[in-house]
Amino acid sequence: MFDPLTIAIVDDDDAMREALSELLQVFGFTCRAFDRAESFLSAHGSGSFDCLITDIRMPGIGGLELLRRLRSAGSTMPVIVVTSYTDPAVRERAMDCGARAYLTKPLADEILLHSLESALGEGGGRFDGDGQPNG
Amino acid sequence: MGNPMVESAARHLSHTRGDAAPGSSDPELADHASESIIVFDLAGKIRYWNPASERLYGWTAIGAVGRNIEDLYSNEAFHSKDWRSLLQEGRWQGVIRRRTSWGGHITVAVRQIVRCNPEGQPRDVVEYGASDGTGAGTLQDPAPHRLAAASWELDTSGARSLLEAISLTPRQAMSERLEQPDWTDQLLAHTRIVDVNERAAHLVGAYAGRARMIGQAVRTFWPPESRGVLAELIADVATDRLGDMPRTRRPASDGILRDPIVTVWRGKALERSHTVFVAVNGEADDDRSFWYLRASEQRYRNLIHHLPTALLQVDASRIGLVLAELKDSGVRDLNAYIDTHPELVDFANNVVRITEVNQKAVTLLGGAAPADLIRPISFLFAASPDMARRVMVARFEGKRNFAEILKVRTLGGETLDVQLSATFPAPPEMLDRTLIALEDVTETLRTERRLRQLEADFAHAARISTLGELATSIAHEVNQPLSAIVTNGETSLRWLTRDIPNLAKVEQLTARIVASARRASEIIHRLRAMAVRDAPERTTLHLNEVVEEALLFVRHDLEARSIELSLKPDAGLSPIVADRVQLQQVIVNLLVNSIQAISNGDRAVRKLDIVTRDDGAGSVSFAIHDSGPGIADEDLDRIFDSFFSTKSAGMGIGLTICKSIVTSHGGSIVASNHPDGGAQFEFALPAALPEAA
Repeated sequence: MFDPLTIAIVDDDDAMREALSELLQVFGFTCRAFDRAESFLSAHGSGSFDCLITDIRMPGIGGLELLRRLRSAGSTMPVIVVTSYTDPAVRERAMDCGARAYLTKPLADEILLHSLESALGEGGGRFDGDGQPNG
Repeated sequence: MGNPMVESAARHLSHTRGDAAPGSSDPELADHASESIIVFDLAGKIRYWNPASERLYGWTAIGAVGRNIEDLYSNEAFHSKDWRSLLQEGRWQGVIRRRTSWGGHITVAVRQIVRCNPEGQPRDVVEYGASDGTGAGTLQDPAPHRLAAASWELDTSGARSLLEAISLTPRQAMSERLEQPDWTDQLLAHTRIVDVNERAAHLVGAYAGRARMIGQAVRTFWPPESRGVLAELIADVATDRLGDMPRTRRPASDGILRDPIVTVWRGKALERSHTVFVAVNGEADDDRSFWYLRASEQRYRNLIHHLPTALLQVDASRIGLVLAELKDSGVRDLNAYIDTHPELVDFANNVVRITEVNQKAVTLLGGAAPADLIRPISFLFAASPDMARRVMVARFEGKRNFAEILKVRTLGGETLDVQLSATFPAPPEMLDRTLIALEDVTETLRTERRLRQLEADFAHAARISTLGELATSIAHEVNQPLSAIVTNGETSLRWLTRDIPNLAKVEQLTARIVASARRASEIIHRLRAMAVRDAPERTTLHLNEVVEEALLFVRHDLEARSIELSLKPDAGLSPIVADRVQLQQVIVNLLVNSIQAISNGDRAVRKLDIVTRDDGAGSVSFAIHDSGPGIADEDLDRIFDSFFSTKSAGMGIGLTICKSIVTSHGGSIVASNHPDGGAQFEFALPAALPEAA
């Protein structure tokens, strides 16, 4: 047995948030979902979450702003961006802000899994999934 | 006519001078004298007859000159005693009775003076005369020109054979012959003008003048309306074996003389047996000549005839009488009356006749000639059966004008949209001639339809353009449920492919897939409603709901641009009747405009205030206020104009379409700058009327 990794999801779209939660559960992760960046930030204590999956476009604090705040607060938590924004400039900015992966909706579950494996493998070695690190 | 006795007596007369009398030197004086002045020779033959004499006796100069003065005496015996005393004394004064041209007699006080030639021989007699006031029919109008008779001397010798044929015809058959216009024309065409006086030349001589009338057929100058009368009178006197009794008729007024009297008599002298004299008496209504009036009437007719507007003259006198009788009998509501007496409309359709049409009307209504349209008016209303009734009701209600567009089937079977305008006669006008103007508006209506189509296309283009501007937002909107579906599907597959499939999970996820798919479908439905051009359909709506729906289109734009939305819907909003898609378009347009304005601005505050309100007085309004830079003052007035755009990429038709949609819903839209900064757009729509319980 192992202590399951906890993934945070921030997405304002109810259906998408729930679908991601279910997918992460089937992968064997524990997850907590937030509909606003603000509520995630207030729940985020040091080490609470092993990885963050966030949307870009959201009311209030958007995904990029969230990334920036986390980095400026010194967080090394891996962040995966999942969005329907296909704009290369946005992708570049997200990667500049330290996103581990930039995935567009609709997601391929395999790719999300690989991204997670990769991010978690680099992040703290607590990964125990059945996938392979992203090469 | 020579009288040897008189002639010999005259030789004893001394030369007489004194009274002003017409001589070769200046005859005009006598022409203008108010007293009758007649000159006759010693044989009694009249040499001069002034206009005052025409007025006094009715006989015209042409008819009188050359006659014997004795012919004019009512008791034909001119007393030889008077002749004798005249020639002996050189003058005579007394009262005599003379015949007038209108068949009566007149008592005249005359002074006769014998004039002599330089050798002292009696030459002629000058007679001055004035009515003693006892004679009937004396014409004493102070304006001699207006009363002077128009006199004609005609030569019928060219029509001799025709006249001979007539004289053999029994009297009864004669009137029948006279009804044949050919006969009349022939007689007048062969009767030549020998002489006319100035008045005749003035009245009917047109541009020819007296000199050029002489020798012409009388037909050329005689007014057509009374040609029958003239021909009949000529035939009468020319074929009368008994003598030169004048015959008189009163023809209908020809427009120049009031109550004209035409008198015709035959020359008595043998050498003038083919000569017929005509006098036309009557007071002129104005000094213009017949042909002048005829010409101006003709010009008027020409004008009407060639007017580019189709005109029909309608005789509605019979229905006018019927309507007046109905009114007298207490009918107040003609519509109600027609409901119980529908036959009145058919009756009207048949008794109201088109009496005259112009060329344009002939062309418009597909006739070959005006005669094709001289018929009851029913055919005009055949394609719009209710129109006759509406025209009649309008008239009954005392309206002066009527104008409406109706469908008219032409004689060629074509159906036209025609604007009909009629002016009804005012009640006392018994002469019920109504002018109806017709204007073919088929092409105008077609153009209007095209324009409406174009506007619809335009609105559609604007909508598509709006959709284009919203594409990213829309793609995002649709992509969300699709992404959820994909993820849920993949998750389901993973549960299913486990050694022990978690069917409960699969069921739960499948339900979510269905829900998301439905959501995607709804979004697409909304988009399609915006993108597909449906005919507007007005239903009872709640403005707040439409605002919510419109916000769905821009929600992601607002979020992506970090624009704070403040929505304050009025919970007690009255429903409205509107087309949902059009109204959505208006609101989405305003939202997109505001979002762009905020994004283009550099304000720290990025805020959109939306308020709906019911003013409680039948109006529902929507106001949107953005925190953008506002509208430049010089643009405020034209911001709703077509193709006006402050956006470089904008099509500039968004606000125009907004205005057109709001206006077509009976509402209004205004743009202003908010006192707190930023632009404000507000539209108001009429609240739906509460349905009757």
